[in-house]
Amino acid sequence: MANTETALKEALSSIEGATGAALVDYTSGMALGTIGGSKSFDLTVAAAGNTDVVRAKLRTMEHLGLKGEIEDILITLSDQYHLIRLLTGRGGNGLFLYLVLDSKRANLAMARHQLKKIERDLEV
Amino acid sequence: MTLVRSPRTLPPRLPVRHRPVGGPALSPMLQRLAAERATGVLLRERGTLYLCDGQVVHAESPETPGLDVLLTTGGGLDAEGWREAVAQAGERRRVGRYLVDSGRVAEGALELCHTGALFDAAFFVLGPSSAPARFRYGDAHWLGAVRPVPVAALERETVRRRALLHRIWPDPATDSAPLIRADRRAEPPVPARQEAVLGQVDGVRTAADISRALGRPAFHTLVDLRRLAAAGIVTTAPPAPRRHHPDRMPPAHPSPHPDPVSALLAPSPADPDVALLRRLRDALEAL
Repeated sequence: MANTETALKEALSSIEGATGAALVDYTSGMALGTIGGSKSFDLTVAAAGNTDVVRAKLRTMEHLGLKGEIEDILITLSDQYHLIRLLTGRGGNGLFLYLVLDSKRANLAMARHQLKKIERDLEV
Repeated sequence: MTLVRSPRTLPPRLPVRHRPVGGPALSPMLQRLAAERATGVLLRERGTLYLCDGQVVHAESPETPGLDVLLTTGGGLDAEGWREAVAQAGERRRVGRYLVDSGRVAEGALELCHTGALFDAAFFVLGPSSAPARFRYGDAHWLGAVRPVPVAALERETVRRRALLHRIWPDPATDSAPLIRADRRAEPPVPARQEAVLGQVDGVRTAADISRALGRPAFHTLVDLRRLAAAGIVTTAPPAPRRHHPDRMPPAHPSPHPDPVSALLAPSPADPDVALLRRLRDALEAL
């Protein structure tokens, strides 16, 4: 049973290669909490922009008639991974966890696994 | 212009107001209160903000569902549990703490619902207002502090939200008027969250009513409605109230002695609701 801050702290400290994390409401695009990031990488801007990614994917699935749910979305840059994980808990409807990873240090499978665990602990 | 410059230099940038179109200044009073680290309650035309040490700890607006609605519809708390918490801890102004300590609501869920409700209400409280604001020093909210928000963050988010709405669909008509569905037969498929909003559009309900019915933040409903309006699916209801002719629903009580055969043959007074029938068929097939 964690609050937003501890969940995000855990994401940053326990996931190898994580450089930033945010909990985002994907209707408003507001980051409900952020950790990490830097002057050159504004997590609140990334959060707002990535809501469009999530929304576009959800809409596409709707058009295709796909009934499955999005678990996570991976975006691969030349030096970073961006991992988006949609929360499914009873109060978490409409939220996603956004994780920025350094691709040289990160273990993607492990990061996904740990993010799943953090989502469970957040209990929203 | 008498300005002389070499042809290679770019013209100076014009001053630009970093505000969305039509967005008047947010409350200067609020900024002053934040600077003096005030504690109390700011009463504006469209709701109230509770401040503690110059930070916003709670916000309420009649146009948005409160924390209780969000928690009871989405957070797994029943109305009884909420009432009990208010009765037990309201006096001590520690309702939030009580909800968590008694195990009714997870800390994360309370925090997220509360922060969501705070920003949601503040969007309306800080909206354009025609009446002067008042501030009462010293008052605290009975919920107790959950996660205080700096005034600057709140104003930034409110401005960003206005811009977001404006970008989706610049006409604010769907924000407050009763709504109708434009043409159900021509509706493209919409995402599940918008579908739920669409299901509440009945010619009478406004965005605020829909938010309360669904237990969702009002701003989220505005976003969905502007998207639906941009897609031509939802529009505002014509001003004349047509209570006697609910035009989209078949009459609930047909005439006392209907002739079954002619009733079947005669063209139905209301157009058959194709989309609804299709959904019904799909639902039956899914059984």
